[in-house]
Amino acid sequence: MTPYWRLFKNISRPVSAAEGLAVDDTLPQSVALNNSAPILHLYTFVPSVNVGKYQDIEAALRLDRCRARGIAFSRRSTGGGTVIMGPDVVALGLGINFDYPGLGRGVGGIFESLSLVLITALEKIGIQACFQPKNDLEVAGRKIAGLSAASGVGKSLLFHTSLLVEFDIDLMTDIMNTPLVKIRDKGYNCFSRRMTTVRRELGRDISVAEVTGAIERAFQDKFNIRLQEDEPDAWESKTIQAFIKERYENPEWIFSHKHPRARMGIGQIKSKAGLLEIYLSLSGGAIENVVITGDFFSTSENVRRLENALKWTSARKESIEQNLASVWQKDMIYGLDVPTLTAAVLAAKENQLRV
Amino acid sequence: MADIKGYDMPDELYYHKDHSWARVEGTRVTVGMNDFFQKESGDIVFVDLPEEEEDVEQGEVCGKIQSRKWIGKLVAPVSGEIVEINEELEEDTSLVNKDPYGEGWILVIEAEDLDSELGNLMQGEALVEFIDAELKRAEEERAGA
Repeated sequence: MTPYWRLFKNISRPVSAAEGLAVDDTLPQSVALNNSAPILHLYTFVPSVNVGKYQDIEAALRLDRCRARGIAFSRRSTGGGTVIMGPDVVALGLGINFDYPGLGRGVGGIFESLSLVLITALEKIGIQACFQPKNDLEVAGRKIAGLSAASGVGKSLLFHTSLLVEFDIDLMTDIMNTPLVKIRDKGYNCFSRRMTTVRRELGRDISVAEVTGAIERAFQDKFNIRLQEDEPDAWESKTIQAFIKERYENPEWIFSHKHPRARMGIGQIKSKAGLLEIYLSLSGGAIENVVITGDFFSTSENVRRLENALKWTSARKESIEQNLASVWQKDMIYGLDVPTLTAAVLAAKENQLRV
Repeated sequence: MADIKGYDMPDELYYHKDHSWARVEGTRVTVGMNDFFQKESGDIVFVDLPEEEEDVEQGEVCGKIQSRKWIGKLVAPVSGEIVEINEELEEDTSLVNKDPYGEGWILVIEAEDLDSELGNLMQGEALVEFIDAELKRAEEERAGA
């Protein structure tokens, strides 16, 4: 008999930031403590933005602009950076035990196996995506989905994804507080060259329901299960309400000060390849975001691969060098080498200022 | 110093199945994350430390560790009171990667009941079997992918 998973599906109306995140936090709890089968939660948010568990929300966002535009802001329980959500961004939460058959082992294995499901889902609607180790899905070098996760009670974990069906880059540049978004690179906002959406890739107005349908079929294929649409039971409803109260309506959670210092730096060096300009956002000793730009010859795909190798890794010299070398191929940036690129990143780190 | 399938797992330490280690000196137990964890997780970018004077139970989550965009758990290998935390980690989380059994220690517990609890932790052959099982499961998952 084919095992079943539960499906909490809520795409007929966008949900509030508090409700969506509280339901997600309940998923691993229910798997661990309420004897539930794995639960897949597919939904969309009202226009909102959330930061990673250990981000400084006041450094990450322009809260005055969020308030002026009616954009709800919150802090999620999984790792990573700022995520802008809305009615055209598919939100996915999955509560599952980490030893569930078919799920890869360890942090990398879990991300990779769940990425493969999403790649299959995108294939079903005609998009060829790939897993950009370790945390993003890309189409031809442009990010289309971000992934994050956290371990839960016992063996359980919560996996989060945001998949861009449509995306408002102007909103992003207005409400995010990092100077990175102000970079203009040869007339294009740097984010429009680093991100894409389902509709842009397909060149048609695909519905959110069609995208979530493909995700459901991909999960069923990959794990050989059937999804059964369901609602939270009494135990889960009570837990959801508790999370809303304790976390998502609680300023102490949203404005938690348990996070590393946020800093920003710009580094410029002249190299044989041309001028290299690096924009770096640091979160404590880690690189939260990096943009590599300048007048060198390369492709967007290669530049993004290098940037991605550095995101959410240590900002130590040895780590930067090692992570760049792990993806480096000859002439990724024509005429440049790993030590020179490392030196440029370190120059940005040396120029860091408190955000 | 024991090398188990390429992972450095010192003989004198005790290991919890959730990858924390314990160095016992009288009733003081220094705690960190093992080499298997740090290699599998990659760069540690944030360590959410508990407060000193908190009481913890063996097996209880007493901290969180972020690597890339994953938040994992630090599980107390023994019960007792947290008497010291490694404040260096607030400035440099890479110590957990660079020196997991030295400068990358995370906290110290004043243990309550080592006599009954150390038997629940792994050493020697039990640890080899545990690492073997972890690696075997990974191979099976890869083969089935």
